[in-house]
Amino acid sequence: MLRDITLGQYYPVDSPVHRLDPRTKILLTMLFIIAVFLASQLYLYVFILGFLSLSVYLSRLPARMIIRSIRPMRILLVFTFILNLFFGTGETALLRIGPVIIWQEGLLNALHFTLRLVFLVMGSSVLTLTTSPVTLTDGLETLASPLKVIKFPAHEMAMMMTIALRFIPTLVEEADKIMKAQTARGADFTSGNLMARARAMVPLLVPLFVSAFRRAGDLAMAMEARCYHGGEGRTRLHVLKIGRGDYIAYLAMAALYVLLLLPRWL
Amino acid sequence: MPIVLEKLTHIYQQGGPVATTAIEDIDLVIDDGELLALIGHTGSGKSTLAQHLNGLMKPTSGRVLLDGRDINAPGEDTRKLRFQVGLVFQYPEHQLFEETVYKDIAFGPRNMGLSNEEIDGRVRSAMDMVGLPFEEIKERSPFEVSGGQMRRIALAGVLAMRPRVLVLDEPTAGLDPRARDLLLKDIQRLHMEGTTVVMISHAMDDVARLATRIAVLEKGRLVMEGLPEVVFGRFEELTGMGLDVPQGCQLARRLRELGGPEIPDCYLLESLADSLAAFLKGGGGDAA
Repeated sequence: MLRDITLGQYYPVDSPVHRLDPRTKILLTMLFIIAVFLASQLYLYVFILGFLSLSVYLSRLPARMIIRSIRPMRILLVFTFILNLFFGTGETALLRIGPVIIWQEGLLNALHFTLRLVFLVMGSSVLTLTTSPVTLTDGLETLASPLKVIKFPAHEMAMMMTIALRFIPTLVEEADKIMKAQTARGADFTSGNLMARARAMVPLLVPLFVSAFRRAGDLAMAMEARCYHGGEGRTRLHVLKIGRGDYIAYLAMAALYVLLLLPRWL
Repeated sequence: MPIVLEKLTHIYQQGGPVATTAIEDIDLVIDDGELLALIGHTGSGKSTLAQHLNGLMKPTSGRVLLDGRDINAPGEDTRKLRFQVGLVFQYPEHQLFEETVYKDIAFGPRNMGLSNEEIDGRVRSAMDMVGLPFEEIKERSPFEVSGGQMRRIALAGVLAMRPRVLVLDEPTAGLDPRARDLLLKDIQRLHMEGTTVVMISHAMDDVARLATRIAVLEKGRLVMEGLPEVVFGRFEELTGMGLDVPQGCQLARRLRELGGPEIPDCYLLESLADSLAAFLKGGGGDAA
C-alpha cells in the first residue's frame, strides 16, 4: 500500500559529485539554470549537454535515472513544443499545411524552449539525486544565513524542513496502520464516487492528525529537554567545508560560461 | 469452523533488493472456542500472521481457510469476512476518530449496513462487555477519556461487529496495572462466552493466566505449539529465544536448582502455591 512510496530521490553512492559541498551544488545548479538561458544559438546546447553529461558521469548516476526525471514533465514538454511551433509568427515560412503555417522562427523557439526545460529539469535532478535531503537543507541554511540581517529565520526554516523530512516516513507508516485498522472495521477506501471517497478519508485523517500533533508535542518536549533553544550559538556536527573538488567544479562552470558567452562578444 | 493456515508464507517486497521473509511455511489450526496465545520475539512475524487471519494481508504463498473456504480465493467477499474475524491492532486507541464514543463504536456495525436499532443494541452490549458505562460516556468525545477507557472503546468498536474470532495484537501494551487487569478480565469473559480469541503478547504472566494453547514464532517460523504446561515446560528453549517465562516458572526453576520439589503447572500461580504448600507441609522444607 502506502509503504511503497519512495521518498525524495537521493541515490546513495559515493562519487566526487556526492562529496561536493551542498552549497557548491546549490549555487552551481542555479548558475547552470542561468547558463541554460544564455544559450543563444542551438549549437551552444552541445556545451550544456557536455557539462551535464560530465557531471552525471562523475556522479556515477545511471543515465536512465536522469532521463527518467523528465518523465513527469513530458506533457508540458510536448505542449511547449507544439504551441511554439504552431502559434509563433515570423518572416520565413518553412511549411504550409492549409491555413497553418510553420515559421522558421517558430521552430527555433519551440526547440529553444523545449531544450531549456529539459536541461533545467535534468540539471536540478543531478542536485537532488546526489544530495541527501538533510545535507541539502544544511546547505540551504548556510546559504540563507546572511539573510538573518533582514530577520529571515534561516535556521528555523531549515530545522522545520529537516523535521518534516524526518517524519514523512513515520507518518506514512502510521497512515498505513490506521488504514488497515479501519479496513478491519469494514471501512472502504477504494469504492464509491468522489464524495463517498472523500468522506471515507475522515476515519483516516482524524487519527493521523491527532497522532501528528501528539508526536509534535513529544518532539518539542524532547528537544527542550536537550536544551534546544534555536539557532543562536549552535555548533554543527558536520561542518561544511569548501574543498579542492568545489574549486574545480566552480572552474568548470566558469569555463561553460565562457563557451556560452564567447559567441556574443565575437 | 476453525481457521486453518496452510503453508502460509509472506515475503515483504518480493523480488526487490530488500525482500524480507516475515513468515514462512506456517501450518496452524485455530480451533473454535480456544484462546490461542501467539508469542515470539519482536520481528518474529506475529503481527504479520495476525493480519493474514482476516485478509488484510495476502499471503505470498499458502492459504488461509475459514470454514474450509480459502479467504483469498477470487470471488470471496473479504469485507464480509472481516466482520467475522475482528482484528484489534496494537494501540487501537490511535484509530479513534469520531466526535462521540457512541459514533465511534457504531462505525463497524454501520459499515455492515445494519439497521439503527440493531446498531444501538450492539453498541450498548459491546460497551457492556468491556465495562464502559453507556449513559455516562456515550456522548463524550473519545479523546477526552482516560487511556485505559480509550483502549476499551477501541475494543468495543471491534466487538460491536460481533466477530466469531477476535484477534488481539498486544492488547495490554502501555496500560497501567489496573487498566490491564480490567482488560484481561474482559478478554477472559469473552472467551468464556464462546468467542475464539487469538492474542499476541509479550507478557508471559498474562499468557499463563489466559491461554488454552500457545504458539511460538521465531524468525517467521512456528517453532513450538501446544498446551501452556508443555510450552512453558521448555524453559531453556524459550529463554534461548530471548523470551520470558512466567514468574511462577522462574521461581519453580530456582527452587529445583536449590534441591526443591518438582512443581507441575508452575505457570499458574494457584497451582504453584498449592504445590509449595504441600511440599512444605510434607516436611520437605528442610531440603529447601
